[in-house]
Order: sequence, then C-alpha cells, then structure tokens
Amino acid sequence: MMKRILALLLALVLVLGLVACGGGAEEEEPVVEETYEIAMITDIGSIDDKSFNQGTWEGVVAYAEANDITHKYYKPTEQSTDAYLAAIQLAVEGGAEVIVTPGFLFEEPIYLAQDLYEDVMFVLIDGNPHNADYTEFRTNDNTVGIVFAEEQSGYLAGYAAVKDGYTKLGFMGGMAVPAVVRFGYGFVQGAEAAAAELSIASIDVKYHYTGNFDATPEAQTLAASWYAEGTEVIFGCGGSVGNSVMSAAEAAGTKVIGVDVDQSAESDTVITSAMKGLAAAVQTVLGDYYDGNFPGGEALVYAADMDGVQLPMETSKFATFSQADYDAVYGKLAAGEIVLLKDTDESGAAIDSATKLGTKIVKVTVVE
Amino acid sequence: MDILFLVFQQTMFFSIPLLIVALGGVFTERSGVTNIALDGMMIMGAFTSIFFINQMQANMSGQSLLLIAILIATGTGAIFSLLHAYAAVNLKADQIISGTALNMFAPAFAIFVARMIQENGVQQINFANTFRIQSVPVLGDIPVIGGLFFKNAYITTYLGFVILILAVIVLYKTRFGLRLRACGEHPHAADSVGINVYRMRYAGVMISGALAGLGGLVFVIPTSTNFNATVSGYGFLALAVMIFGQWRPLRVLFAAFFFGLMKTIASAYSVIPFLSTSDIPSDIYKMVPFIATLIVLAFSSKSSQAPKAVGIPYDKGSR
Repeated sequence: MMKRILALLLALVLVLGLVACGGGAEEEEPVVEETYEIAMITDIGSIDDKSFNQGTWEGVVAYAEANDITHKYYKPTEQSTDAYLAAIQLAVEGGAEVIVTPGFLFEEPIYLAQDLYEDVMFVLIDGNPHNADYTEFRTNDNTVGIVFAEEQSGYLAGYAAVKDGYTKLGFMGGMAVPAVVRFGYGFVQGAEAAAAELSIASIDVKYHYTGNFDATPEAQTLAASWYAEGTEVIFGCGGSVGNSVMSAAEAAGTKVIGVDVDQSAESDTVITSAMKGLAAAVQTVLGDYYDGNFPGGEALVYAADMDGVQLPMETSKFATFSQADYDAVYGKLAAGEIVLLKDTDESGAAIDSATKLGTKIVKVTVVE
Repeated sequence: MDILFLVFQQTMFFSIPLLIVALGGVFTERSGVTNIALDGMMIMGAFTSIFFINQMQANMSGQSLLLIAILIATGTGAIFSLLHAYAAVNLKADQIISGTALNMFAPAFAIFVARMIQENGVQQINFANTFRIQSVPVLGDIPVIGGLFFKNAYITTYLGFVILILAVIVLYKTRFGLRLRACGEHPHAADSVGINVYRMRYAGVMISGALAGLGGLVFVIPTSTNFNATVSGYGFLALAVMIFGQWRPLRVLFAAFFFGLMKTIASAYSVIPFLSTSDIPSDIYKMVPFIATLIVLAFSSKSSQAPKAVGIPYDKGSR
C-alpha cells in the first residue's frame, strides 16, 4: 500500500514538473546562439601545459580582451587528423573567423581545412600546411604558417651555458618533432660556438628523446643517471619531461634549462629557459587580420630579428654570463651573422642525428 | 660503486609504488572482485594528497607533511573505491565496465577540479619536494648497505616494506585474511558458514583503493615537481606485476623489483659500465618484463593461482 502511494506521488511530481517546464519555455526569449570569433584548437597537451598551447592561448586572450573580441578554445577528442578536423568544424560552426592552431601536427588538418572553409582564416603555428605524404605543400590565402627559429633559442641556451662555465651538458627532448629537434641542434651548436670562443678543449653533450611529453620515472631515472655520471646541466625540452629533469636535479644538486616559456618559477634548479615568443607572434598576426592585412599564404619565420626567441635574463641564474654578453650574441643572431643548421639541410633532407652537425669541440653522445 | 647505488635507489622509485598498488590488487582480487580501476584510484589519491601538500607547504614541510599527505591519499583511495565496490558487489555490475568508468573519470575529475579550485586556474598542481632524506642518521653511514637503503631515500620506501609484511600477516595469519581469501575462492561456501561475503568484498576493494591511492602519491613525489593528472599507466603495470606475482605478496615483491630493475636499466643503461658498451638496444630492456609476464602466464595458466571466483558477482540466490 505504501509503495503504491509513493509511486502515485512520484508520477504526480513528474507530471507537474513537466507542465511547469512546458509553461516556462513559452515565456523564454528566443535563444541567441553564442558565437566566438577567435578560436584556438589545442594540440596534444592541455591549455595550461606551460608550453606552446598555453603560450598561444595567452596570446589569443591578450589580443581578444584588449580588443573586446569573443574567443574560445576547443580540445580535439584525440590526436588524429580526423579529430582535429572535427574540432575545426566545431569551431567554424561556433562562428569562428580566425582559427589558431598550435603544433606541427596540425599541418595536415589545416591543409584540408583551408579548402573546406575558405572564409575562415587559419593561423598555423610551428608548421606549414601539407598533405598526408608530404608530396604537396600549399598555403592558401586564408592561411598563414608561423615557424619559430627554435635553433636560435637553443643556440642561446647552449652558448650561455658553456659561457657560464658548464662543460658537461645534456639535452633531453620530448618527441623528436621538428621544433624539438631544432632546439636540440641549436643547443649543440651554441655550445660549440662558446667553446671555440673560450678555447675549451672538449664539451660533452648527452642527447636523448624520451618519445613523449610526460613526467615519468623513466625520464627522471635517465636524468638522475646522467647527473650521477657528471652532467652539470640538462636542457629539458618537452613539456612535462622538464619536470622530471628538475626532480632529478633537485636530488642531485644540479641545474636545468627550461623551454618555451620562462620556467624559473617551477624549480630553483632552472638557470634559464630557451623561450620562443608565442604570445607576441599570435597577437601580431591577429592584429594584422583585424587591420585588414592578414599575411595569407605566407610562411613566416619568427627569429631573433623579430624577437621570436629569447632567454629571460632577469630571472636567469648565471654566474658570469652577463646581459652584455647576451646582447652581443643576440645582436649577431638578429643581424644574421650566425647561420645555424636546422633539422634539415639546404636540400631539405633531414639531418637525422645530432652527431652530424659537424661540431669539433662538442662531443655528442646520442643515448637511444 | 656510486652507479650501483644510483641504480638501486632509482629501482626503488619504480618498484615501491608498483609493490604497494599490486598488493592492493592482491587484496581486492583475493576477495573476488577484479579492480582494473587501480590506475584511476592512484590518480585520485595523488590528486588530493598533492593538492594538500600544495596548500600546506607554506606552513609545514618535511616528513610530518608527507605523513599527513599519506593519510589523505589512502583515505581518498578508499572512499573512491566505494564506487567500484557498490557497482561490483551491490549492483552485481560487470567489474571491467565499472573499473573502466572509474579510470576515465579520475583524470577528468582531477583536471576539472584542479582548474576550478586553483587560483591560477591550471591543471598542474605544483609541490616542493622537501621529503627526500639525503642520508638516514647513523644507518646511512653503514658501508654498502647505507648507500643501498638509507641514502637519497623516502619514508615511503620503508612504508612499502611495512605494508608488504602487514599484507603477508593479514592474508595468511589472521581470521580476516582467511575469510577474505575464502570469498574469492568459493563465496557460497564462505556464506554457508556465516561469513558476510558482501562485507568481505567491500573490505577487499577498500583496502585496494587505499593502497592504490597511497601508491599514486608515492609514484608522483620522487619523479616530478608537479602533478598533472596522470600516473603514466602505472596502475595497469601494477596489475601486470600482480599477475606476474601470482597473487602472492612475496612473489609480488619479487615481480615489482624485477619490473623496477628492468625499467631502471632501460633508462639508465648508458651510464652502467658493462651495459653501455654492449650493443643491446634499450628497447630490449623495456620489453623484458612484459615478455617475462607473458611467459609466466603461458606456463602457469594450468596451475594459475588466480582466485577462482574473481570477477564473478556474488549472488546469494544462485547455486
């Protein structure tokens, strides 16, 4: 008996609830669908990865808030061209006029999307659009590709480290994607240049890619083993991989070089960071779009001459490497007096190992 | 010699979390409930305890802070595991499905909540590692043994061994342990002599949740400077360790150290004198534990020690 009464009561509540809802809906205003003019699609990693997703998003937010433009980011469901395209479609349906995509993994999705959505502008960071098998590179008028001269940023870090008295260095990259490779090669070349200036007989560089962007005991162990063997400073170049390196450095009392953004707040062991000016570049390009001169179809390279790379000298913990030293080497980079090898040689063929950079003083040991 | 000490100390960082979590797995499976949500429970335990450390590190530091964090991690794991226990025991749900659900829920929850409650709105939770013991007083000065066990260590390392001893005693020397194992082997028989199977299974799952939560904290502390809502799949690795150890605590210890040593060698072989000159690629070392697990499973499948009733919901009515 109790159960029946209960059931009856429940049914009544449901019916009344529905009626109430129905009545309410009629009085509601017609729903205005919200749109977002500037959209960003994140790469693998999150919006706050303290690396390029975050740097890009900060640029978007800074510009959008200064100019009162709606903005939103979308996160693809997984790391695949289809998922990236689906996220782009979502952004377009959400009213996006400009879509910013950080990460070279977007090269193929943008190659396809620039034809699908001709009225939408695409800003591709860390790459240039091409098809799946690299046979065709094409950047339409509604797309701009931005590449940073990571090799210059890495060069500055390597140069500063050796100038500051370190002779046993390490490079621990995440995935061997072009940006990470350029950082690493620049790092080696920077160390070579500084060693030549100081006439140091030999510099050791251990070199490794972990294959992911995560903090793992594996990365921590590798870093700890390098430190134990005498490595003084490791360039942790791959998102959270750097945090594992910092953890090992804290235990061993050694030093770390950060990457992408100023990572000095992450750990006291960080002596400097090889930065690239993501936020500034994004703001510049967004500004160009709203001023009506979107650099469509171009492949921009942000190097030292456009303030695309830097070391954060205010927060760096160098003993002897001074602001004057930094300005001198930066000036040479900006003026184009120092020409560096990138991840590919002049013919476009990949330089597949850091041992093939032709360094004489720096001895690179690649750890598989 | 220093390298030997380093390898040993690093092995601990791999092995102890695996050992703790795998022992948790032993408890739940011995009670008859599969728990593939160990990974998610590690994440939840690490999340709350690291967040606690993050909030409190301005006021306290060192071992006392770590001990409270340990309590929080175990408590979180135990509470979170109730979801799995309720689905598996009361609702008689498919335990793989409910475990998968928790594994998907945990990282999402950790990211979402971290962004909501942290002032800077990011998902990483930073912490300062003030817990490392450079050298244990007196014991650290003992030649060889001091270098192996009492330098560059964490209090959690010793806790891992304490848990191992407790696990052996509880499982094999107490009434509770016998009843727990009975529920995993033949729950109807256990029920017929008056053991509350539901209650025992709840206990098994909650112990596993508590240990997994602790394992999450132990995993994160030595390997990073922040918690980023992941334990790199070590919960699943712990399941492999548990199977490799054939659901027996001492064999699990062996398995955890085997896995840990192989992982360490795979990462650090370049500085180990004998191995750095050999031509064996590091991939081989990475593969060894898993190949060994496959071999053990292949050869022991007939005499497998897996609890008979594991994964099967207990229904009082069925015969």
